[in-house]
Amino acid sequence: MERIPILRMGRLLLVTIQVDMHDQLALALQDDLTNRIVRDRANGVLIDISALDVVDSFIGRMISNIAAMARVLDARTVVVGMRPAVAITLVELGLELPGVRTALNVERGMALLQSENE
Amino acid sequence: MKMDLHILTLHLNGEQDVVLARQRARQIAQMTGFAPQDQTRIATAVSEIARNAFRYGAGGSVEFAIAGLEPPQLLLVTVIDQGGGIADLQSVLEGRYRSSTGMGMGLIGSRRLMDQCDIDTSPRGTRVVLKKLLPEGAPPVTAAILVAMGARLAAKPIHGTFDEVLQQNRELLRALGEMRQQHDELLRLTNELEDTNRGVVALYAELDETANHLRRADEMKSRFLSNMSHEFRTPLSSIRALAKLLLSHVDGPLTPDQETQVGFINKGAEDLAALVDDLLDLAKIETGKVEVLPAEFTVADLFSALRGMLRPLLVTDTVELVFDEALHLPQLYTDEAKVSQILRNFISNALKFTKLGEIRVTAALAADDPLLIEFTVSDTGIGIAQDHQDLIFEEFTQIQSDMQKSVKGTGLGLPLCKKLAELLGGSIALHSEPGRGSVFTARLPLRFAQPADHGRPEAAVAAPATVVDPLRLPILIVEDEPPTRLLYENYLRGTIYQSVAASSLREAREVLARMAPRAIVLDILLPGEDAWNWLARFKSEIKQKHIPVIVATRVEDARKGLALGADAYFVKPLEREDLIATLNSLVLAQPGAAGEMR
Repeated sequence: MERIPILRMGRLLLVTIQVDMHDQLALALQDDLTNRIVRDRANGVLIDISALDVVDSFIGRMISNIAAMARVLDARTVVVGMRPAVAITLVELGLELPGVRTALNVERGMALLQSENE
Repeated sequence: MKMDLHILTLHLNGEQDVVLARQRARQIAQMTGFAPQDQTRIATAVSEIARNAFRYGAGGSVEFAIAGLEPPQLLLVTVIDQGGGIADLQSVLEGRYRSSTGMGMGLIGSRRLMDQCDIDTSPRGTRVVLKKLLPEGAPPVTAAILVAMGARLAAKPIHGTFDEVLQQNRELLRALGEMRQQHDELLRLTNELEDTNRGVVALYAELDETANHLRRADEMKSRFLSNMSHEFRTPLSSIRALAKLLLSHVDGPLTPDQETQVGFINKGAEDLAALVDDLLDLAKIETGKVEVLPAEFTVADLFSALRGMLRPLLVTDTVELVFDEALHLPQLYTDEAKVSQILRNFISNALKFTKLGEIRVTAALAADDPLLIEFTVSDTGIGIAQDHQDLIFEEFTQIQSDMQKSVKGTGLGLPLCKKLAELLGGSIALHSEPGRGSVFTARLPLRFAQPADHGRPEAAVAAPATVVDPLRLPILIVEDEPPTRLLYENYLRGTIYQSVAASSLREAREVLARMAPRAIVLDILLPGEDAWNWLARFKSEIKQKHIPVIVATRVEDARKGLALGADAYFVKPLEREDLIATLNSLVLAQPGAAGEMR
């Protein structure tokens, strides 16, 4: 079964979602990521969704769940690279992403996580 | 009837298909000209609904289609499943219900992302139709463009199982063939129509020319009549005055013979003067110089005045003139003098051709239209043969008969009646059998309405703040052309409906903010704003979607109008009967409406 790759950079984990995820794939990512946070003792997670042009309520909720689980495991999550059209649509859809912080791109996201962990 | 242009159907058999559905939705949105933001909205909404169908409805299908012929067209996405239906749709839509998996959010969110979202759910399955108007300026999607689109979709297989792609490609190829066939057929039809059109245009030009000729000739005749009548009048008055002077013996006595002769001269001149008066009336009406002076009056008053006026004409005692009692009739608001003139002409005509029996004058509301009053004058005279019944309304026509020879007349009375009745907005009818008698009927509106093209001051109509009569049902008329607006207002005058006018959608919104009309008559080609979008929004709001919208426009695209929620669709011109009948069926069908009828 296919998987979304998770890269480790120091104490940060970088997830770049390159494909349009079906629901099972999104759930698998949730499992993989929580396992990797524990295994790698990560304190930050960057999720790059710049390749996604559709984020519907399911994927949105999945991202929000990941952030909540990561927080319980003492890691901060930043979502980076959200396209403007996706942002507008999420708001119109009425979906909030509680506990999820966002940054414009990977660089800024990383800076945000590092400044917090110092 | 397969008028919608079908683009693609997807089956939701696996989770992957939900992804496929949203990707296809995005591609189709892009190809049909939606901006990137809308592409994302459409794809997201399709994703939500398709997931619902897959998760709760145990699979189903997603169909993409285009409705409408003229821009802006309508993108339709129909998602069907055979699941158990949505248990409490109302509470889901009102946001009271939140499933842990977020189904409610998907439905509500999709409604916000699209222009319209119809949900039809039953224990046998659910059908959701998502609608969004193509953006302004998007090139119209035709069969030919769909062919190209199909080819591009087929060439762009996306992440999915090989079989799925193969199957879809097969489907697309089939659709492609169908489209090409339809396209060829359309081309052939277009050519044929163009040929016919050229012929019709030529014919119209010819007709126009002939009509102009006739109009000019008619005007000249009217002017001639009017001038000549005036010229005749002056010498005639001198003759009558001088004859009367002679008869009064001011200039010395006359011999009995002379007295008789001068009497004849006077009588002749008077007859001639009456003829000239009739001619003058007719000419005046034809040149439009006659003004209608409407006032309130009752039929009973009219009859009693006529009775006094006409008694002197009853010279024999074998004919009786009877006025039926005019009870229970509403007040009239029209030109009393002209109604009286019509009835006088009818009666004097009847008197001329009736030797024995009675002449009966009645008034009653028309059986088929309570806004018309019918005056009838029936006699027991010689009657008129079927062949001649049309002729007698033409000027200077008299029918040959034994009795006719013994009666004088100009042949102008009945044509004059016809013109007068038309002037008052009514008509004249005749029912007759030779030997048994004739019945002349004048059907006139109870309330005289100024003709629509009379050009009343604009401002009075354009102001949306019309006073609302609590007894009549308000109908909002959104129409930018003042003549058409006036026309609709006239249609509604005297009905249980009253018009509230708005010349733009902005005005319409102001009116809607203040009051709830019982129905809306909507023009599509309005300045400034797109009425399609407005219609889509209006019909997707729960609070007001029950208000019937009647589209009346030059745009021939009934399918799209109805798909967007219009309750009736008319291509202009909209006739009075159609409007009233539609209002009756749409408005009076609403609950609680019956009690408000007068």
